[in-house]
Amino acid sequence: MLITGIKSKPVYAPLQTDTRGRYHLMLAMGAGAAPLLRVIAEMRVVAGPSLKNTRVLFVSDAAAPEVEQFKAATVADLQTFPSTPALLERFRAILQKSLMGTRLYVAGPESFIGLAMKIALEFNLNKDEIRAEECGTLARRVYCIHCRATTEDVRTNIVSCIGCGRWLLVRDHYSRRLAAYMGVMVDAEAPGELPPLKEVFL
Amino acid sequence: MNDAQTITVEVIGVEQVTPLIKHFKLAPAAGGSLPVFSGGSHIIVVMQGAGRVHKNPYSLLGSPLALDTYEIGVRRMEESRGGSHFMHDAVEVGSRLEIAHPVNLFGLDKIARKHVLIAGGIGITPFLAQLEDLHGGSVPYELHYSVRSSEHAAFLQRLQRREGERLHVYYDSEGQTIAFETLLATQPLGTHVYVCGPVGMIKHVIATAQSCGWPDSHIHWEQFSAPPVGDAFEVFLARSKLSVHVPPDQSLLESIEAAGVEVPYLCRGGVCGFCHTRVLELDGELVHNDHFLSEADKAKAKSIMPCVSRANCKRLVLDL
Ligand code: FES
Repeated sequence: MLITGIKSKPVYAPLQTDTRGRYHLMLAMGAGAAPLLRVIAEMRVVAGPSLKNTRVLFVSDAAAPEVEQFKAATVADLQTFPSTPALLERFRAILQKSLMGTRLYVAGPESFIGLAMKIALEFNLNKDEIRAEECGTLARRVYCIHCRATTEDVRTNIVSCIGCGRWLLVRDHYSRRLAAYMGVMVDAEAPGELPPLKEVFL
Repeated sequence: MNDAQTITVEVIGVEQVTPLIKHFKLAPAAGGSLPVFSGGSHIIVVMQGAGRVHKNPYSLLGSPLALDTYEIGVRRMEESRGGSHFMHDAVEVGSRLEIAHPVNLFGLDKIARKHVLIAGGIGITPFLAQLEDLHGGSVPYELHYSVRSSEHAAFLQRLQRREGERLHVYYDSEGQTIAFETLLATQPLGTHVYVCGPVGMIKHVIATAQSCGWPDSHIHWEQFSAPPVGDAFEVFLARSKLSVHVPPDQSLLESIEAAGVEVPYLCRGGVCGFCHTRVLELDGELVHNDHFLSEADKAKAKSIMPCVSRANCKRLVLDL
C-alpha cells in the first residue's frame, strides 16, 4: 500500500551540459563521479581546453581513482570531502558568493541530491539552473511525520524511527524542503501488526 | 473577461506630469473601495470614443494598500489609434470611465533574493506599485530608470524622495546609458531582473541577461504592443456564421467585438495568451504582432492573437 504512484517522487534524467551557463558548479558523491566526468568531456568539446569556470566538489577519499580522473580532465578547481555534511557546508559558502549565470550539476545517490537541492532552493535556484542525475544507492532519508526526526539510509519498506521508535511505512511522498520521504506509522490501527520487512531501496 | 464585469470609475484628478504623460486618479463612482491588486497589475480602461470603443491596458501605479483610488499614467502615443489621444484630450476631472478588474502578468518573484528593476520612459509605471511592495521589505532591490531628458522623467520626485540610493537615473539627453552587461554580469545568485520599456530595450536586456548565463525563469518583462494599423481585410467567424470587416485602424479583436462576438482577453497587448484563436482557413499570410506565440507557432499559421495581430489576405476563417 501507498508505495507507488505518488507524483512527488523526483524523476532524474541523465546529466547534460548547459552551455548557456557562465559558471559550472558540480557536486558528486561516489558513483556520481562518472556522469560528471562525462559532462566535463562534453563541455570540453564546446569550450576547448579551458574549463576555468568549472568547479567540482566530490565526496570521496583523496586516493580514490576518480580523483585522478578529474585531475586528468584538467578540472582547475577540484575539492574532495570526507563526508556529505562537509561538502554541503562548502557548497553553501560557495553559493553565498556565486553570481547569476551559475549552473549546478549534482550526481550521486538520491539522498545526496535531495540535500544539495534543499540548499539550492534556499538560494532561489530554479529548475532551469539545476541538473541532477541519480546513481548509486536508492536508500532514502525518511522523515517521521509524528516526531519529525529524520532516519538516514533507509533500505527497507518499513523502518523503526530513530526519534520515537514507531514503525514507519516509507512512502513515495517526497518533500523538497525537507529533502526526505514521508514516514507514516504503519501499525496505528492494529498495534504490533507489521507487514513483512523487505529490502526495497538498494 | 467581458464588459459585464467592469467597474464604473470617476476621474478625480488629472495631472500633466511630462510633456507626453498624464497621470489620472480614478475613484469608484459608486463609492466604497476598489478591488485588491498586487504590484505590476494592469487594468483595461474602456473608453467610449466618438463612434468607437477603445480598450487599452494601463499599469496601476498607486499603492496596493490604498484602494480608494487607482492611479494610471498614460503616454500620448504618436501613432495612437485613438485610445491614448482620447485619454489626453477628452478625459477630465468628473469624466466617467469603465475599467476591468486588475490582472497581474508582471508580478515580483516571491522567493527572489534580490530584484533588479529596469524601466524605460513610461515603462516606469508597473514598477511604481511594485516599489510600494518592496519598500520596507528585507529583500534588496535597485531601480534603473532611463529617460529622454529631465523634463521627460515622470514621477521622478516621488521616486527620489523614497528610493534614495537604490534609484539610478539615466538621461539620454546627456548621453547616459545603462551598462547592461556590467549590471547583469555581477548580480548575486537568486536575483530576478524585470524590464518594462521600449521594445528595443526589452530585447536588449533579455539578450544580455541570457549571454551572461541567466536562465529564463529569472528574466521578466512586460510590453503592451498597441495594435498596429494595417490593411483592411475580411474575416469569417465559423461558429457564429458572421462575416466581419476589419478596417485599417481597428484591431481584429475590436472588430470582432463590435460585431457582437465575445473573445476572452486579459491584456489586449499580445502578452497573456487569453485571446488565442484557431485559424481554420487562410489564403494569404498572418501578420503576427504578439509576444505570446513561439516563432514556430507563428510560422505554422494555425493560430492568431486577435488583440494585436492581423492578416494580409482575401479570406480568413476563425474558430469563433
Ligand atoms: S488579450 Fe492578451 S494576448 Fe490577446
